Amino acid sequence: MRRLSSLLLLAFSFSLPAALQAQAKMDFDKEIRPVLAKFCITCHNTAKPRAGLNLEFKDSAAAAKDKKIWEKVAHQLRTGEMPPMGRPKPSLDQLDLLNTWIDHDMLAVDCKGKRDPGRVTLRRLNKAEYDNTIRDLLGLRARLSDAFPSDDVGYGFDNIGDVLTLSPLLLEKYLDAAEKAAARTFADAKLKARIMGSSRGKRSESTNAILRDFAKRAYRRPVTDEEVAKLAKFVALAEKSGQSQERGIQLAVQAALVSPNYLFRVETDRDPKGGIAPVGEYELANRLSYFLWSSMPDDELFQLAEKGELRKADNLEKQVQRMLKDEKARALTENFAGQWLNLRMLREAQPDPKLFPDFTQGLRLSMIEETFRFFDAVVKENRSILDFIDADFTFVDETLARHYGITGVKGTEFRKVKLDTEKRGGILTQASILTLTSNPTRTSPVKRGKWILENLLNAPPPPPVPDAGELNTKELKGTLRQQMEQHRANPACATCHFRMDPLGFAFENYDAVGQWRVKDGKFDIDAAGELPGGRKFNGAKELRAILKERDPEFRRCLAEKLLTYALGRGLEYYDKCAIEDICAAVARNDNRITSMILAIVRSEPFQNRKGKGGMKE
Amino acid sequence: MVSRRTVLKGLGVSVALPFLEAMNPATVLGTEPAAAARALPRRMAFFYVPNGVNMREWTPSSEGRDFTLHGSLASLEPFKRDMLVLSGLTVDKARANGDGPGDHARAMAAFLTGCQPRKTAGADIRAGISVDQLAAVRVGNATRFPSLEIGCDGGRLAGNCDSGYSCAYSSNLSWRSEATPQPKETNPRAVFDRLFGGSLREETGRASEMRAQFNQSILDFVRDDAADLRGRLGTADLRRLDEYMTSIREIERRLQASDLPAPTAPAGAARPTGIPTSYRDHMRLMADLLVLAFQTDVTRICTLVFANEGSNRSYREIGVSDGHHDLSHHGNNREKLEKIAQINTFHMEQFAYFIGKLRDTREGDGNLLDNSMILYGSGNGDGNRHNHDDLPILLVGKGGRTLDTGRHIRFGRNTPLCNLYLGLLERMGVDVPRFGDSTGRLSGLSA
Repeated sequence: MRRLSSLLLLAFSFSLPAALQAQAKMDFDKEIRPVLAKFCITCHNTAKPRAGLNLEFKDSAAAAKDKKIWEKVAHQLRTGEMPPMGRPKPSLDQLDLLNTWIDHDMLAVDCKGKRDPGRVTLRRLNKAEYDNTIRDLLGLRARLSDAFPSDDVGYGFDNIGDVLTLSPLLLEKYLDAAEKAAARTFADAKLKARIMGSSRGKRSESTNAILRDFAKRAYRRPVTDEEVAKLAKFVALAEKSGQSQERGIQLAVQAALVSPNYLFRVETDRDPKGGIAPVGEYELANRLSYFLWSSMPDDELFQLAEKGELRKADNLEKQVQRMLKDEKARALTENFAGQWLNLRMLREAQPDPKLFPDFTQGLRLSMIEETFRFFDAVVKENRSILDFIDADFTFVDETLARHYGITGVKGTEFRKVKLDTEKRGGILTQASILTLTSNPTRTSPVKRGKWILENLLNAPPPPPVPDAGELNTKELKGTLRQQMEQHRANPACATCHFRMDPLGFAFENYDAVGQWRVKDGKFDIDAAGELPGGRKFNGAKELRAILKERDPEFRRCLAEKLLTYALGRGLEYYDKCAIEDICAAVARNDNRITSMILAIVRSEPFQNRKGKGGMKE
Repeated sequence: MVSRRTVLKGLGVSVALPFLEAMNPATVLGTEPAAAARALPRRMAFFYVPNGVNMREWTPSSEGRDFTLHGSLASLEPFKRDMLVLSGLTVDKARANGDGPGDHARAMAAFLTGCQPRKTAGADIRAGISVDQLAAVRVGNATRFPSLEIGCDGGRLAGNCDSGYSCAYSSNLSWRSEATPQPKETNPRAVFDRLFGGSLREETGRASEMRAQFNQSILDFVRDDAADLRGRLGTADLRRLDEYMTSIREIERRLQASDLPAPTAPAGAARPTGIPTSYRDHMRLMADLLVLAFQTDVTRICTLVFANEGSNRSYREIGVSDGHHDLSHHGNNREKLEKIAQINTFHMEQFAYFIGKLRDTREGDGNLLDNSMILYGSGNGDGNRHNHDDLPILLVGKGGRTLDTGRHIRFGRNTPLCNLYLGLLERMGVDVPRFGDSTGRLSGLSA
């Protein structure tokens, strides 16, 4: 899918490439085979298939038999892994041709046929989810996860089942955290009452009732009698040691908090034959709540799941809207937007204090908060996703207002302000993004351009070739732009910098902490540029307008990022149909963000699950 | 017998034990003569620095015993007779080998594993068991903690790490198995608490006995839950569950090993308050904790990561504002090379501080350094070229006087770093015919 975006970007100022509009298959003999022959088949041929890979095929149909091959080839072309160093490289046109062919002909998916919803790996709660779940389960705001080692990031997010591994160190921390959580809950009369309730009657009955209620919420699904009985053993154990029933229940709570049923989001195969099946209602409730709240379902979701009515009528839509209005939806901002926009990296940015003495910890936090508030507003007001690219409002406190040169804002309270759209509009001109894409001492048009390609167009450029700098041994001279133009004179670098640099140069009017400027040292700012394809612009405002015209790419990019986050897995070629459906729904709905969230919730991969048996029926 | 609380009061803190320690009440400092009576243990630690180094300011110009520590290595001069500078070693599996860009991710993931990391942004991550973890599995039972993983950087917070490789590869040095990285602890206070006892709370003997019993029943309970889940899961899911089961087993092993030395910090050791603002202090505090851990013999195997691979940290403490990774693509610019050497020197000074502390700690008729093997290095050679041969590698300490130190040795082209590991493993009592991409034991190291 990224290939499409990169393709579109290359064609930037043109209409959609013919290859995308025409559904007709490409001519293998005339168009494709010569390119394969020149760049691939030299090594990967029938006689001597290097790395076990043979790319010699008699026609498109023969080539299309094994999709796995083409997923790999596409990946290697995209990341620049192949052809290897020292071999001839295809031109951009040839690369696009191959990519389009692979995407359309080799990895074609029949969206009208049976669709593969994929299979999410058993997901451990990540740090944010752990804390939020403790908060909603016990009423305890404790940030216990501060003691946990960091979760690894995959596909840009830290909620990906495949990389949420579990080490002995982490389990040790879980054991400690569970003990603390239970102890603090039972030390607080109000919190304790939430668990113990006011039930009277026979002791054994009340024990079971208490534990059943708790376990249902802790495991986020109905529990069996055996499961309740297992927990009740802790009460027996406590009583045998001369302790109270209450102490026993505290122990059971502590134990449940380290059970895999609590720590993991368990989903089971519902089709007895191991094929595709809708996820259960409770599982769907969990998918919803962890997507929008990074936490467990609340009572309303549980009740609908219990009645089996979550999918009934317009319940899903109503729930999504209700959930987005809840303050818990701030989690979507912090965890999704915080990672999508790389905002979390701003916590580690280190602008040089000699050059930027005004960059204080307070300003850093205000920058982050601005972008959070902005994302929040788009969600809460169900605005167009194109507001991210360009808008006439933002949110500032006094610190940030001073930074932007906006007058009349006093105090630490954030408020909505109207912007001078000549200078700012949308997230690209927010100080947060401008700072986190800068070097400590200066702006980095490369990083800014790369950021746009990666996060707004989902077309990450391949990494620099090793030795990139070394070819250019003489010292670079002149303005930053001149230096970079010299750098681009190197053909090995030109291909990618041709895409990245102009995008970044558009933002040269903002310094390395996002302040407006007209000079860089003694040089006047030149924010003009030309995109591949020849379209010219001057400054961020004009680039924003161009980006806004290219809404299909941005829509697709955001849909891919949000679906990855919602599912907790990387996207596969077969997710193409879901992405197309989502983008179509959003386009029909005026680009409203809620329509995207809702379309994701309704999509096959969100609603279904492939069993162990895979695609076969 | 003195109660544990009393002992810790000597340190100025009264401590309640973390979950696990509560189940395994400590023996008391000074009442356990067995440690002294046993043969002196050997220790092994691995220090990692990212982005390669400025090799011109690293490699001594001559080989053999008559060499000079210059440039970034100058601060190691006092330890010259206790160390080996090893040139020419290679981590082949950090090379592309058909996988294209991603040298940072590979450099770290292959450094201690000698395995080609699988190129994936998430699904099915795979490298190999790391040398420290292999030793931990084989001989880690001798101490309360089979191994310790610490560092100064947590994981990356967002975004993509390196060219299609999951961030797991560039933030983890230790791999417990081919699919499970062993994350590191970055907060000195948490490390201290884990090793030597936890937050403030008082417990009577009876209460702590009961707590131990309760805790054991919790472990039994969750093991049972995990077993119940097994049948309902698919292959990738089972990997996660297996990690869970392995972790439970590991924790139980620690509980059963009740005759192991007590997790009691020596008098005078203060409990850190958190992560220091100064990076220098952070590195030193982590090094202090490692010395403590070796000194008290709570572990003999450790990895310490000064910064994650590809780190773009700026080193303002020494006047270098540019990001480390940005600088490492120096394009042979003299000014940038100079700054890289400054960063290398800065790291080395903290390492020298650690080595000094080891040498100042008496053990038997010698010191801790005599019984240690401390490897320091990077999986990248020159950050600009991203080469993985002729890596910057130091081995400090005498390994129980089995190493003929005080030399600069140059090995032949493409000699696997894993060949060195075979020798380290042997000295730790782990006899394996091969490890990672080893081709045979390095010769000429032994005393």
